[in-house]
Amino acid sequence: MAAMAAVAALSMALAGCGSSGGSGASKGGDTKSGGKVELTYLHRLPDKQGMTMVKDTVARWNKDHPNIQVKATKFNGSPGDLIKKLETDVKAGNAPDLAQVGYAELPEVYTKGIVEDVTAEAGKYSKDFAEGPSKLMSVDGKVFGLPQDTGPMVYYYNKTEFDKLGIKVPTTAEEFIESAKKAAAQGKYIMTYQPDGAGMAFSALSGASSPWYKIKDGKWVVNVDTPGSKATADFYQQLLDAKAMNLTPSTDPSFAGAFHDGSIIGSIDAAWNAPIMMDWIGDAGKGQWRVTQIGDWFKNGEKTGPNGGSGVAAIKGTKHKAEAMEFLDWFNTQVPDLTSQGLIVAASTEKAKTPQSWTEFFGGQDVMAEFAKANANMGSFNYMPGFSAVSSAVGEAADKAGKGQAKVSDAFDAAQKTSLATLKDYGLPIAKD
Amino acid sequence: MTSANPARLAKKQEKLLKQKADELPRSMRPTKVVKITTIVVLVFALIYFLFPIYWAIIASTKSPSQLVSSNGLWFAVDLKKIPQAVATNYSILLGWTHSQFWHWVFNSLIYSGVSALIGTVVSVMAGYGTAKFQFRGRGVVMTIAMSALLMPSALMTIPQYSIFNALHLSNTMLAVIIPCSVSPFGFFLGRVYAQSSVPTELLEAARIDGAGEARIFFTIVLRILAPAMVTIFLFLFVATWNNFLLPLMMLSSENLFPVTLGLYGLVSLPVFTDRGALMMGSLLGVLPVIILFFCLQRFWQAGLTAGSVKE
Amino acid sequence: MSHRTAAEAGAQKKGRSEIVKRNERTGWAFMMPFCILFAIVFIIPIAYAVYMSFFQQVASGGGAYGGGEMINKFVGLENFRFTVTSAAFWTGIGRVLIYTVIQVPVMIIAALSLAMLLDSFIVKHVTPYRLGYFLPYAIPGAIAAIIWVFLYNDQFSPIVKGLAAIGIHVNFFAPNALIASMANITTWTFTGYNMLIFLAALQAIPRDLYEAARIDGANGFQIAMRIKLPNVRGAALLAMLLSIIGSIQLFNEPQVMQTVDKGISNSYTPMMMAMNTSRGILTPKGDGPASAIAIVMALIAGVLAALYAYIERKVNES
Repeated sequence: MAAMAAVAALSMALAGCGSSGGSGASKGGDTKSGGKVELTYLHRLPDKQGMTMVKDTVARWNKDHPNIQVKATKFNGSPGDLIKKLETDVKAGNAPDLAQVGYAELPEVYTKGIVEDVTAEAGKYSKDFAEGPSKLMSVDGKVFGLPQDTGPMVYYYNKTEFDKLGIKVPTTAEEFIESAKKAAAQGKYIMTYQPDGAGMAFSALSGASSPWYKIKDGKWVVNVDTPGSKATADFYQQLLDAKAMNLTPSTDPSFAGAFHDGSIIGSIDAAWNAPIMMDWIGDAGKGQWRVTQIGDWFKNGEKTGPNGGSGVAAIKGTKHKAEAMEFLDWFNTQVPDLTSQGLIVAASTEKAKTPQSWTEFFGGQDVMAEFAKANANMGSFNYMPGFSAVSSAVGEAADKAGKGQAKVSDAFDAAQKTSLATLKDYGLPIAKD
Repeated sequence: MTSANPARLAKKQEKLLKQKADELPRSMRPTKVVKITTIVVLVFALIYFLFPIYWAIIASTKSPSQLVSSNGLWFAVDLKKIPQAVATNYSILLGWTHSQFWHWVFNSLIYSGVSALIGTVVSVMAGYGTAKFQFRGRGVVMTIAMSALLMPSALMTIPQYSIFNALHLSNTMLAVIIPCSVSPFGFFLGRVYAQSSVPTELLEAARIDGAGEARIFFTIVLRILAPAMVTIFLFLFVATWNNFLLPLMMLSSENLFPVTLGLYGLVSLPVFTDRGALMMGSLLGVLPVIILFFCLQRFWQAGLTAGSVKE
Repeated sequence: MSHRTAAEAGAQKKGRSEIVKRNERTGWAFMMPFCILFAIVFIIPIAYAVYMSFFQQVASGGGAYGGGEMINKFVGLENFRFTVTSAAFWTGIGRVLIYTVIQVPVMIIAALSLAMLLDSFIVKHVTPYRLGYFLPYAIPGAIAAIIWVFLYNDQFSPIVKGLAAIGIHVNFFAPNALIASMANITTWTFTGYNMLIFLAALQAIPRDLYEAARIDGANGFQIAMRIKLPNVRGAALLAMLLSIIGSIQLFNEPQVMQTVDKGISNSYTPMMMAMNTSRGILTPKGDGPASAIAIVMALIAGVLAALYAYIERKVNES
């Protein structure tokens, strides 16, 4: 009993000091004292070992800008969790000034009233960023922040294995399917089918030629059934039928294993996947891999589409829009710092240097230059509010197709259906055909 | 009884138990077959429960590519290189927790310790109150508490967050401690134990001796309920330790984070590959639970003593 | 004489009512701390959830993006109508019912058996077992997920490989094995936890009861059946009820399996449906429909729990 009481007393004392310290560090961030502005910035960058930590980058800013002091905090949950938290915080009036928002999420958080219009304050900084990502930070004719990183889809392939098989990176869909069959006969796959990422990948690849969503007279026109969609569905269906793809979801350890043991020798993935693949493959395939642009495989005229990528948006209720954008323009153009976080930066102020380990892994290739090329080569795709629901419905349908219980085109039908249902649920106007 | 030292009691009890086992009448002593069968069953169960943890220990020494290329049952490198492999993952672990790993472990200890302590006392009080006293509204309270168990707790995090925001308690330690210290389950467990092991005659006797209700509770009842309390404490401790959704919503200052939140942060990264380091982080987080288990050990036996001494 | 009796009765009555009053005061005093905390942490959020279940969030203004503002629109029982007419919801309920019937009895019986064996004095050093059985509960869900995803994987799992070596080929993700694979994760996590509940109840049994039985010539098994089992009945009933409710709220295990098998849909169980609705991954989205799903689910769980408690009592009475 005595021991327990002692523990109790100790814990109480600790809790007391802990909680008072906690409440002292209030996070409203809108406190202005003597011309000094305090900003809070909520991010979900990796901040892992060996990277330049966000707080160190921010510390550099704080040193030079005594009047605009920024406090950066890492959010440890999923993007969906972050939106949920911001939604609650905005209602309670204690939201941060700036927060990371994915391009695909921006329409949704705008409709939900989470972001603040900074068109006037952000406009002058748009020249510092690539055009495609810049556009993705504006919705409904208003700008909500500045872009940070991008996720253009690129094609990764193992050149050594390709040479062994006597195949080249295909230029047409037909050629691709032929090469895939040839490789599959040797137990190698030059393409992957990832049901878990299908929602983002299918929309990006088929949307590269023409977008799914248009706005006409303030109403939504949803047309998933584009030539690009048909071509994408057809491409994957043929590869499925020929059993010429690896079919494991990317979250399955077998997927990593297939990269490591060399059975996957080619895959379309987002640019930010490069460091992940390097981790999986390890020393086994070092120097053998290359990155290249996506070919005209989806009636896309060699254009690519976005998979992921995010910007930083001003959050509703911030009282220091101009200062927030001033800091953000500086932060999002700290190219070496952001590159160290594994990001493919959206900034165009400075050429991103390919890290030494990347160059070694990709056989001396200037990978960052290749990614920059992909960035400039992105088709104009826009998302609708509630796209996460569409993306997840596509994933589920794509899984069925992968298991042979449905066709790949069903995934696109699911996208059409879910898009309409979701817009309706949000109470947004839909144009009648 | 009140002055008895639990440690000494435990030792005495252990001796007593051993004697008892030795003194079993011949007819009751377990036969060899029974004994061996029992041990086989218990060991088999132990392997079942510990095998995945063994796998995690091995995994905690591996790099992402070793995880998908080497034998899951053994280290990927020579035994001599294990310390180095451990050091690598350990530095990854410290890196992603911004070198605050141990600070966060310490926070977790506070959250779990304090909320489990409050939760246990509050639960046992309520359980004892409903088990041993007739009062109006008792049935209603129990029904409501039971119904509350039916609502999935994960869905209540957001409303709880709104409430603590309104109370200006969000982003404080209390925002985690208070919600974690209420457990309808603990209440019912306390009630079940109080019903079955607190003899009403003993309470009556104490009352006749002129003891107040509070005194009776704190000096007699709590002692009898020690095994139950230790059990409730352990459950609440672990439940708080593993809860990440609540701190994720409630806390925004890094210096207040519990360790599980840091681990979850890594899992939810789109670029997450360091499963080995993650395993190491979670295993280090299990250590306090193991230590706690050994510390609570004697209270289980102390309670046992109280049960047999009471007559 | 009659006079005196009346006076005595009066005094007695007065005494009794005083006892009743004292009981009432003391009882509530013991309940109070719990009640206050309970109100803040449970009652208010539940009331809020019930309130929200009558609303949906819709765009307030015009234009394609609704003017960047959402309002709560009162929709009456629409969210409930949606829930009870949703095929996905009832399929999910069906799944968790099957799951409950398979998993809960296995786990409870295993936990009870292990607790009895550890309490039987056959083994002297019980701590390693007790700790070992409990440890899985101490592994956070997100980490247990990663462990099991590897242990179920057909390429890397030592279990799959080991079984294959002796000629047994298992696929933990085969459609008809999925539920068993999930049930195994739950069993692994919670058996030790339930075992501790039983063990604490067993150790609270006064030892002199055993002495008496021994003098009567009962053996260990008979003691277990005649004394121990009836004395853990309360704890067993509680553990059963909690496990039933927990199974209806099944979430973690399918979420784990979903990471490697997208065939597990976002509405695979009612709880997944509620969480994903709340996160906006399912349509209709938001807290309104999510609350309605949770409430209907809670009602079903409540009915099942009550039914179980009723049957248990009937069986014990007969």
